[in-house]
Amino acid sequence: MTSPDPLQFPAAVVAARGLSQRVATGEGTLDILTDVSLAVKAGETLAIVGASGSGKSTLLGLLAGLDHASGGEVWLLGERLNDLDEDARARLRAGRIGFVFQSFQLLPALTALENILLPLELSAAPDARERAAHWLEQVGLGARSGHYPRQLSGGEQQRVAIARAFATDPSVVFADEPTGNLDADTGSRIIDLLFALNASANTTLILVTHDDALASRCQRRLQLTAGRAQEALPA
Amino acid sequence: MSFLRLGLWLLQRERASGEWRVLLLALIIGVGSVSTTGFLGDRMQRAMSDQGAGFLGADLLVTSPRPIESWPDAGLSTSKALEFASMVSRGDAFQLATLRAVDSAYPLRGTVRIADQPFAAGEARPAQPPPGRVYVDPGLLPLLDAEVGDSVQIGDAQFVIAGVVAEEPGQLGGVFGLAPRIFMRADEVERTRILLPGSRVTYLYQFAGESEPVAEFAAALKPRLERTQRLIGSKEGVETLRGAFANAERYIQLTALISLLLAVAAIAIAARRHALRHYDQAALLRCFGATTAQLRLLYGVQLLTLGLIGSAIGVVIGAFAQQVLAGMVLPSAAARLPELGAAPVFAAIASGLLGLAAAALPALLRLIRVSPLRVLRRDLPPLPLAAWISILLSGSTLLALTVWYAGDAKLVALFTGALLALALVLALLAQLALLLGRLVQRMAAGPLRFGLAQLLRHRLDSTLQLGSFTLALFLVALLALVRSDLIDGWQQQLPPDAPNFFLVNIAPHQEQPVADFLDKHNLKASALYPMVRGRVVERNGQPIESTLPEGERDSPTLRRELNLTWTASLPPNNNVLAGRWHGEQRVAAPVKGTPAGAPLLRSDPSAEISVESGMAERLGLALGDSLGFRIGDQTLSARISSIRSVKWDSMQPNFFVIFAPGQLDALPASSIASVFVPPDASAMMPQFVRAFPGVTVLALDKLIANIQAVFDQVIGAIQLLLGFLLAAGVAVVVATLLASLDARQQEAVLMRTLGAQRAYLAKGLWSEFLALGLLAGVLASACAEIAMALIGERLFELPVRLHPWLWLSLPLAGATLVGLSGWLTTRHITRVPPMQSIRALN
Repeated sequence: MTSPDPLQFPAAVVAARGLSQRVATGEGTLDILTDVSLAVKAGETLAIVGASGSGKSTLLGLLAGLDHASGGEVWLLGERLNDLDEDARARLRAGRIGFVFQSFQLLPALTALENILLPLELSAAPDARERAAHWLEQVGLGARSGHYPRQLSGGEQQRVAIARAFATDPSVVFADEPTGNLDADTGSRIIDLLFALNASANTTLILVTHDDALASRCQRRLQLTAGRAQEALPA
Repeated sequence: MSFLRLGLWLLQRERASGEWRVLLLALIIGVGSVSTTGFLGDRMQRAMSDQGAGFLGADLLVTSPRPIESWPDAGLSTSKALEFASMVSRGDAFQLATLRAVDSAYPLRGTVRIADQPFAAGEARPAQPPPGRVYVDPGLLPLLDAEVGDSVQIGDAQFVIAGVVAEEPGQLGGVFGLAPRIFMRADEVERTRILLPGSRVTYLYQFAGESEPVAEFAAALKPRLERTQRLIGSKEGVETLRGAFANAERYIQLTALISLLLAVAAIAIAARRHALRHYDQAALLRCFGATTAQLRLLYGVQLLTLGLIGSAIGVVIGAFAQQVLAGMVLPSAAARLPELGAAPVFAAIASGLLGLAAAALPALLRLIRVSPLRVLRRDLPPLPLAAWISILLSGSTLLALTVWYAGDAKLVALFTGALLALALVLALLAQLALLLGRLVQRMAAGPLRFGLAQLLRHRLDSTLQLGSFTLALFLVALLALVRSDLIDGWQQQLPPDAPNFFLVNIAPHQEQPVADFLDKHNLKASALYPMVRGRVVERNGQPIESTLPEGERDSPTLRRELNLTWTASLPPNNNVLAGRWHGEQRVAAPVKGTPAGAPLLRSDPSAEISVESGMAERLGLALGDSLGFRIGDQTLSARISSIRSVKWDSMQPNFFVIFAPGQLDALPASSIASVFVPPDASAMMPQFVRAFPGVTVLALDKLIANIQAVFDQVIGAIQLLLGFLLAAGVAVVVATLLASLDARQQEAVLMRTLGAQRAYLAKGLWSEFLALGLLAGVLASACAEIAMALIGERLFELPVRLHPWLWLSLPLAGATLVGLSGWLTTRHITRVPPMQSIRALN
């Protein structure tokens, strides 16, 4: 386990130290994460694995700045997230962080092309439309640019989501169970695509999965068991 | 791309997906009905005010015993007339007449119709006759034994009777006891040499114009008037219309209020659904780096754009609808009235935006505060404090707007309070009704059982839906009830056989022959009321002026002579409000000192009288008070033993003061009666006039036709307003149904996947909607009856009664409305293949 040090940025683009997350439930408090520390260097790929309820998605959310941790520290792109409020964290993400979700999260009213266009428009990227079209070509859906999500299969929707995640040339891409809603064949093609794009863009990729095949494609693997982390060497 | 543009872009993109449609539709219907109500109400009030002006002859009338030289600047059209009494003679016959000397502009409003013979319809002409000519009251001809074309002497001058007055403005004001009217030219008054310094003359100044300058003029004039000068507005033009005015105005206010509330309810429901469907979008945008301020801008722009588009379309629809409707029901007013006022446009757009803000801001504020974590977890943040503040702020602004719009804070407060209480009661009732539904469900089978089970499974949603449906049905039913009771009330008030002629000055010896004449010709007449004229001068031994506060001393009731009558039986259309009716009580008191030659006047301070409630209120009179009257040159006192309400618009002889028999009997009195002469028997009246030349006949049929026209206009407009309310009610129903669409779709997909056939699902949905509609109808009937009992009497003076037809029609209407809307809204969910639905839901 690498000791996190924000001064190493840009070497470590994502880092956490003593991270814990505790939530109140009807029957008291529940520790979802306990004392998790990690550091991910630029261009690295990390798989967060573990059983259901082990805290994988919670950790992903904290690392991406989508939530506040109960304890510990998080650094993202050299910024200590603990010092930032919700809006400052949002500004930090804009155009620099990409996301791929299990349920795709495409906006139903927008076409495939427009869904990719959305984060580009948000980060005021120049030539947004051309870049969106380029990334749609990259995922092999150039001919489907005017199609709405409901007209696309699950695999196609996830390809659009992947194109959207990479379209802004982000430093880090977070992926939450990217193949969770797909069959094995489609899932494996999506994984190929994800890693190919990641390699060509030299992006840091942090993904959550319980799929061993997917985890084995990553350089590093962080095992979560009941909220505690243990790094394992790739199989 | 800026967030402003991004908001508009997303809005434009989502237009195709129909996400915004419900909200926009609710807004359009809401603003459409509010603006139609506003426009139509505005115009209707002006139309009625116009009718009132027609009765008055002007928008404003100032009467003064002296000429008034200076007026506030106003740019209104004006007319000046003089009114004075004088003897008119022809040969040996002579008669006291009221002369009205008018200029060429008279009357500014309404029409004067001149006929060639008495009781003919006549044609509209200026009231100012040609030089050397006069127009006379038809009653004057037999008194002078004259015909049209004969000459009469007025003062030192001769005039030719050029026609009889068949209709004139102001005909109803104080018809009793007026000497017959003669119209002459103002520039010929001098020629008669009647008016000398000190002569009693009333100067009548008429004003007419647009409502705003008229109102400003009236406001500027009021403080300048002396106590002997009076300002009369067109609404006060006629006592008879007062009841109808008040009721119609209240009804319009109530309708506007309810349209607005229903629209806001529909918007709130639609906005909530819209927000629910956009939480994912907002969370995603946050993931992509959007800040709270940026989301606020994005959704704020969307909402404002939507509000402006919806309000603008609503206003256009409202303007168009009211134009068509005004043309249909108010043809005369529609052509003559000024274009749409800016006030209703402003009010409609403001109420649309405020309604949207009040209804949609809470959901929106929650939307922009959604955590980006929602992309990973589905939980929602609680409603932030700002959302509660925004509900409070926009709610109170909306309420303030409603108060301004309805013009009656008490009414709005009463109604809003009642609605809040109603919402609570409805929630309880809906829960109770659903419990009963459980019993029915146990006995049911197949799709019905499934449909009812659906209702019971989603207890909270069902309660909300039932509550919304009930509210919509109740409000529509309430206004329908008020409408039908109002119309019934008016029709009862002015039945087709309402008296259309007054017979005044019937001498005692003519009473029997008059009664015989009417009997012989099968004419229905009211009772004969003897009448003497007297002035109220004392209260409990004190001069009456001294018992009144400074501002009240100028009451017209004190200034003029009242018609006093006596009768043992309470006249129809009179109700004793306090005390007891004096009945047959006779007084045999000793005769008070009477001047030689004067008729005997039996005066007894314990003698009883009944006083009209309005007069009692104006003069601060109470039961047991003693009132002193000056009749001729004698004074007599009597004690108030009852206070009555009087229906002034009943077209019957009505009196402020009624004496018990025995006190005034000795005075020479003439009698008055009203009679209904059917149109086919109108030839009877000239015959009557010839038979009884001394009896003055006042024709009221034109006046009744005018009042009927006002009622018809009001009724027509009310029907139309009700149509818009219904649309607003349907909007609430549809918005509520759409709000539950996603959940229903999910369940339908599941059911179909598990093997339920389409027909089974369809029947289940029908059962659910029919049960909801039926239940809502029953609850709404109960609420409407209770509300009607509570407000009908207080607001509209309508008697409390049950409406059995309501209990049948409302549940049926509810079942049909909710059933059909439900089916139309949800029918596609049973048709779409499950796979397609699943994909759409993802």
